[in-house]
Amino acid sequence: MNLILAAIFAFIAITGTLGAIIEKDPFAKLISLSVIAGGVIPFIVDRGYLDVAIAVAIIAPLSTIFLLFACRRESS
Amino acid sequence: MNTDEAALIICAGIAAYATVRILLEKNTLRKLPFLNVLSFAVAGSIALLLPHPLSIIAAAAYFIGSTLESNAIASTYAGGIREE
Amino acid sequence: MMVDPLHILIAAAVSWINFVTIDLIFRLPQQGGVSGAREIARQIEDGGGTLHGGYMMGNIVSSPDASAGTLLAACGVYIAGIPGGILAALLVYVGNRICHDPGYAGTTGALFATFIVYGFSLLGFSPAEFIAGMVIAILTIQGISAVYASRLLSILWRWSRA
Repeated sequence: MNLILAAIFAFIAITGTLGAIIEKDPFAKLISLSVIAGGVIPFIVDRGYLDVAIAVAIIAPLSTIFLLFACRRESS
Repeated sequence: MNTDEAALIICAGIAAYATVRILLEKNTLRKLPFLNVLSFAVAGSIALLLPHPLSIIAAAAYFIGSTLESNAIASTYAGGIREE
Repeated sequence: MMVDPLHILIAAAVSWINFVTIDLIFRLPQQGGVSGAREIARQIEDGGGTLHGGYMMGNIVSSPDASAGTLLAACGVYIAGIPGGILAALLVYVGNRICHDPGYAGTTGALFATFIVYGFSLLGFSPAEFIAGMVIAILTIQGISAVYASRLLSILWRWSRA
């Protein structure tokens, strides 16, 4: 991965973090978490850690889904 | 620049564009199509960065995870569960 | 192999035609498959788009459809030829069932795309160009303007039903 690609994916991860901070709607914050994962996973893949990448790719969305279940249980 | 590098730059560029559009969009549910574009671009980047058979599984796992997550966010939003 | 912008544009057009055609055949714009898709369609309609186009865009977000199948098949063929494409189709099938989607749009899209991408690779295209092309194709539908994309999809939906 050359410098330009690393800069682009880093920009994606940082923008996701900014979004998580700036956004007011909680669902928009969750979307920003997804953006962060999208920016970080290419770095993991580039180093050859494909099993780690698969684990992160499954665990990160799963945590969001469990979070949504928890919020739904609290409200109902 | 050979084909693989060009395809990677295109995917990364589209991912960056989609990220900016996500940030700029005010309506939460209308952010989800841009998140979908980001997932496509990152899944393509995974396959292009490391051409190994396990990368197909990694790209598919990432894409399906992202789709499940977007679906969960949209469904929960649709259920009207919002913290006022 | 030096990059040829024309190849990428042709790959984008072919991917676009493949996934839109298969999604129209499987009637994605007819209704929202899950509540999330219906809500997204409603929001797109509120923003000035049309309902059926919104249903298709919502369905693309909620479940792996022919667009996802085309992309993953292109990745599969890039890495491992036709067996890679078939593996990708299998993964898309599993993904559909995980997302509670009983349809076959994704699997069909993946299988068609496997053979299309392999065929074009015999003509001198690289499967990498199809990966980039498919990302460009989905950008035109989901990533530029929900209003105009949903209108275009509604027009295509009406044509396909006539």
